[in-house]
Amino acid sequence: MKNFIEKLLKIDRRLIFLTLTLLLFIPIVRPLGLPNKNIGTEVKGLYDRIESLPPGSFILLSIDYDPGTRPELHPQAIAVLRHAFRKDLRVGMLTLIAGATGLVEELAERIPKDIAPDKVYGKDYVILPYQPNPAAVMTQVGMDLYKIYDTDRNGLPIKDMEVMKGIRNVKDMGLGICITGTALLDSWVALTGDRYKFPFAGGCTAVSQMGYAPYLQTGQLKGLMGGMKGAADYEGLIGHKEKGTSGIDALNLAHLMVIGLIVMANIMMLWLKYL
Amino acid sequence: MILIKKYIPLALCFLFGVLTLGSYYVPTAASENYMEAMNQWENIVAGFAFLLGLFGLFYSHYNKITRKVDGWGYSLFVYIGFFMMVIPAILSEGKIMEGTTLTSIGWGYRFIYNALASTMFSVLAFYIVSTAYRAFRIKSAQAAVLFVAALIVILGKVPLGQMLWDTTLGWTGTQVSGIVQWLMDVPVVAGRRGIMMGLAIGGIVTGLKIIFGIERQYMGRD
Repeated sequence: MKNFIEKLLKIDRRLIFLTLTLLLFIPIVRPLGLPNKNIGTEVKGLYDRIESLPPGSFILLSIDYDPGTRPELHPQAIAVLRHAFRKDLRVGMLTLIAGATGLVEELAERIPKDIAPDKVYGKDYVILPYQPNPAAVMTQVGMDLYKIYDTDRNGLPIKDMEVMKGIRNVKDMGLGICITGTALLDSWVALTGDRYKFPFAGGCTAVSQMGYAPYLQTGQLKGLMGGMKGAADYEGLIGHKEKGTSGIDALNLAHLMVIGLIVMANIMMLWLKYL
Repeated sequence: MILIKKYIPLALCFLFGVLTLGSYYVPTAASENYMEAMNQWENIVAGFAFLLGLFGLFYSHYNKITRKVDGWGYSLFVYIGFFMMVIPAILSEGKIMEGTTLTSIGWGYRFIYNALASTMFSVLAFYIVSTAYRAFRIKSAQAAVLFVAALIVILGKVPLGQMLWDTTLGWTGTQVSGIVQWLMDVPVVAGRRGIMMGLAIGGIVTGLKIIFGIERQYMGRD
């Protein structure tokens, strides 16, 4: 028995990789459809905040993630956009991450296709170009955003666009949302949210979700989507299930595999030590 | 020479540091105008910083190639990768889409960068699972607390975990989501807030040291 346990503890890691591959692959090919019953309160907070905005309000959406964190964060951005357009809100999208420009374009491509086909660029939404200095953008949007964003990503002046009517700085906006796999959400809260009393919410990867708990408790963040579960929760709230919901099955099995392996390895270690 | 290399940069740092700090606490039209000008300057300087970083990167990898240090072949890929993205970006004037079709940089982004970056990140999952099995040993009380907290959070964050909890521990009348919420609201907030306050105080002290010329590493060794 002892020899067997020792062998198990030194198992070839490629076998673990193979098991994980199967666990991730099977639910993607054939979703298990497990119910997502508990909606996170912080996700509900963001949903309620958008729900409470009157039609025509402007939301600033900062898409600050690159393809590395795309599986977790892209479904969040799509769900928020879908909800905002359904509520007839105006949306200004921007990015402060150079690697995110292509993802913003993907969103721009999807809006007329399936997110909100009835919405018109320049009237209902605008996409601002990438800027290299986040701190400058975050402070400037609190004073006069046209001093840093005079044109959209195609070089067209934004000041005369219908979507920007009555918007000079964040005081004219209803909500700011930063979806990111970096620490930019902290900066948005400190440099824009707190300083200009601008309601802010966010979306982040599951691994960094815990770090934002103090902001949620103090109300500095009005809501937060954490990882794929956050996206699945939001998709459930708006009643439009997509990648977040379908990815949660794979996530379920992978998480349980991690727990199972840790428990198993520790039981075997105790067995070798005491029995 | 010492005036140009030392005293003028220190004086500029002090002047702009104090003005920027002051403008945060004195919200007048003049301070707003000052901040707007600074933001535009910062954006321009950040653009040049990118360029400087690029030169530094190229120089360092050029040295590795010419000296044929271990793994110098990988340095070639820095240049290959760079030009593979930059040349199409220049040719398509930085645009990712042209109407409804992808430009060459758009294609590179979507089918090369996208795939590579996602792959790099997803590989982590395999290493985490393997390491969890091989290295996470509960050998102390602290490790046990860490494990129990991680276990509860994992169970609480995925629907299958919640179902398992309800099936096995449902009789206790506790919801795993309630325990996760408590962990988030009490121990996590306490620990995180302590770290944040420490970081903030450290940041303030470092900022003041730079403004008053005590910390001068940004000027180089001279």
